[in-house]
Amino acid sequence: MTYRLAPVDTTAFAAERGGGDLTVIGSVVQRSDARGHVTGRTEFFEDVAPPRLAHLKMHRSARHHARIAAVDLGEALAVPGVLRVLTHADVPNNLYTPLKLIGVGPDDEPILAVDKVRYLGEPICAVVAETEAAALEGAARVKVTYEDLPPVFDVEEALREGAPLVNEYHGQNHFIYEGHHCRRIRFGDVEAAFARADHVLEWRYQSAPIEQAPVETTGCVVIPQADGRLRIHSDTQACFFTLDNTALILETPFNKLRIVGGTVGGGFGGKVDVVVEPIACVAAMATDRPVKFVYDRAEEMQVSSPRAAERLYIKDAVMNDGKIIGRKITLYVDAGAYARHSPYGVTKAAAHLPGPYAIPNVWADCHCVFTNRTPSSAMRGFGVTIADFALESQMDQVARTLGMDPLQLRLLNAYRDGDVKAHRKVAEGTALVEVIQKAAEMSGHELPETYRRMSSTTREGL
Amino acid sequence: MPSQIVSLVVNGEHREFIAAPGATLLACLRESLGLTAAKRGCAQGACGSCTVLVDGRPEASCLVAVETVAGGSVRTLEGVATGGDLDEVQSAFVDCFATQCGFCTSGMIMVAEALLDRNPDPSEEDVIEAISGNVCRCTGYRPIVQAVLEAAARRREEAVTR
Amino acid sequence: MVIEAVHVPESVEAVVTRSAAGGLVMGGGTVVMPLVNSGSAGVTELISLRRAGLDGIEVSDGVATIGAAATLTAVAEHPGLAFLRPALRTIASPTLRNQATVGGNLFVAQPYGDLAVCLLALDAACEIAGPAGRRDAPVADVLAAGLAPGEIVVAVRLTPPPPGAWHYHKAMRRRLNSASIVTVAAVVTKATPEDVAGECRIALGGVAPRPVRAPSAERALRGRPLTEESLTEAGQAARADIDPFDDAYASAWYRARVLPVHLRRAFLS
Repeated sequence: MTYRLAPVDTTAFAAERGGGDLTVIGSVVQRSDARGHVTGRTEFFEDVAPPRLAHLKMHRSARHHARIAAVDLGEALAVPGVLRVLTHADVPNNLYTPLKLIGVGPDDEPILAVDKVRYLGEPICAVVAETEAAALEGAARVKVTYEDLPPVFDVEEALREGAPLVNEYHGQNHFIYEGHHCRRIRFGDVEAAFARADHVLEWRYQSAPIEQAPVETTGCVVIPQADGRLRIHSDTQACFFTLDNTALILETPFNKLRIVGGTVGGGFGGKVDVVVEPIACVAAMATDRPVKFVYDRAEEMQVSSPRAAERLYIKDAVMNDGKIIGRKITLYVDAGAYARHSPYGVTKAAAHLPGPYAIPNVWADCHCVFTNRTPSSAMRGFGVTIADFALESQMDQVARTLGMDPLQLRLLNAYRDGDVKAHRKVAEGTALVEVIQKAAEMSGHELPETYRRMSSTTREGL
Repeated sequence: MPSQIVSLVVNGEHREFIAAPGATLLACLRESLGLTAAKRGCAQGACGSCTVLVDGRPEASCLVAVETVAGGSVRTLEGVATGGDLDEVQSAFVDCFATQCGFCTSGMIMVAEALLDRNPDPSEEDVIEAISGNVCRCTGYRPIVQAVLEAAARRREEAVTR
Repeated sequence: MVIEAVHVPESVEAVVTRSAAGGLVMGGGTVVMPLVNSGSAGVTELISLRRAGLDGIEVSDGVATIGAAATLTAVAEHPGLAFLRPALRTIASPTLRNQATVGGNLFVAQPYGDLAVCLLALDAACEIAGPAGRRDAPVADVLAAGLAPGEIVVAVRLTPPPPGAWHYHKAMRRRLNSASIVTVAAVVTKATPEDVAGECRIALGGVAPRPVRAPSAERALRGRPLTEESLTEAGQAARADIDPFDDAYASAWYRARVLPVHLRRAFLS
């Protein structure tokens, strides 16, 4: 065999391992789905081909921010093979937000645009046709008249006085957290720390949106059943979440829907929004036919929700010996035009600050901001990943400024078991010190004896 | 022009079906013949998940208007295993953990089959070039390259023992 | 528009007749079919060259005649065209090279079409068939002005360069299967004394809306030895011949900035 097994280090935390019966990690276990994948027998949603399948294609906004003055469906309806053109009026409950299932509000996003579009590519009309080609042609022939509104694309500009209002359902360009304008951390006295620090160091970090780009695009096939239920074959990463949201949008009991899913051709967080199933269900009910709605590659890149663009300002109070005694962070997360999962992502980011370091004074404002960009949402550790990029870049910048070894700076500031974190939680099972020591050893990075003797379970070396 | 009856030899069997004008080979395989191993990932030849062998060479079936290959021979992933027995490429993909979500797997295996048909002892560079038209978002490619090299080794070994 | 017919004519004459009646001609489909799949081809009829008998490659008496429907793979595998192999390996993937054709490559939008850049450097001729009969035209004219309605390129004709005279380099974001940032193709023959450049034909891709010759670079190089110094000067001179653009691969600024580097690397790598 040519593949390499990652060696499992059983020497670290030996006392906590408790016996030798944990044998799966470190052994080869064949994937249960591999045989289906290599024979082509794994069933993805689009491998379902019911008879009389109709196809849905979306007519999307050609503007970033505009009022819809008029929508003309005449030419679209005249395309041979077009069965229906659905508008917002056809959707039983046209307004939603996916996190309403866990009590997050307000509902802020229409399934199909009503009187306004808030980002380029926002769905306006859904064309249902006998063939994919006819649906595409129908969608291309929908005529929308716009009255342009000024768009805003930058998070800090969006928060300024007088910025164009992106989303009327929120009433301002930021999400409100229990009455507060952002997610906040207040721990110790960060201004006092700056006053007595040997160095005050501040840098700005930012990232662009990142598309998950799964090889299988987002989509579903909805098949009306003889008993009146709808069977939804979907590549969603969140079957029950999709089912519940779809039921609320259709104003139908949950038990009228059945999701067949779990096989996802790449998700990476990009398939947790509920963006294709509800309208495909409406189309299936309106035509009493199976309906397929699947993004083409351009839609996947343009309108499927990416990882949010983020901007962070990090200001540290640092002593000459490398101890960081205060950290102030301002984070802006670009949610795009609608909330989707971003309010949660910002909370995750806040929970992650100020990084895995024992810093006695912490202040953070984490803003979830609405702009006229594609709504962002989940992607692999969203909220945490870009924060980590910024935090660890900051650690390197601080080390460079102080002329310190970057690993030693981290070991000096790494949290230990028993430290109280900025969120008033007592840290346990931290293991960061050991991980850094192991990484140094494996990469041939020399550490002085005092740093090699440090431990996450003791105060040794501090 | 109305739909036409198109015939192909698919995985060694003579097949006939009705194709609408402009229908792609991919759509015909999936929708008319029920051979769904080849996938639609981009419909523009950029991802490789629809790759099948046309007259022995890998082609992006989403870019083939089916009328243009009428009478030709097509091989898909469904035609690779003999009965229930995986071939060397398939078994190496399983053993080397070269599959994750599985969506690119069909295309990857077909370009590997074509490569090994022509070059039984490919270098790592050869494998990387052969799969350069196939996108995998899960594995980072390394296990796939190793699986193709492993498959080549297994096939050579079998040729010796035979 | 929805496709209503796909024609697969079995002769050049039949292709020309069809083409004159409207419809989009395609070689391997790598350019046209993505448009069809997204509903944006803008035609109702397609005309495929796959069966038109245009896929032959003949090299004799120092002249290569390549059928317009010959695939890039077929060109790369032809023993008489081995000098083009490294260039062809920089174009798309082996899978797409099994489909993409020589004729089609002349009509793809930049920053694709690296074979067209090669053909421009080689001063290839296009054999064209149309409603008014057959004609020949330099590949430069076809790239610049396109074809008359109903015309198709049936073959390209080129003279393989003498040993040592062919130079090619393509800068891209990935090592394989990526569009051009800068493509350089050149035929530079040696004059006497032996180490200086004689006849120069340098063509560039990725740096203008279509493949372009770089006459300023050619002038800068003629009569001089191919050294780092002369090539850097030629590369800088070539900036007068380009009209670069921004795209997802690189900015216009970047393309102009790195052009001299890659022009040099085409000769000294």
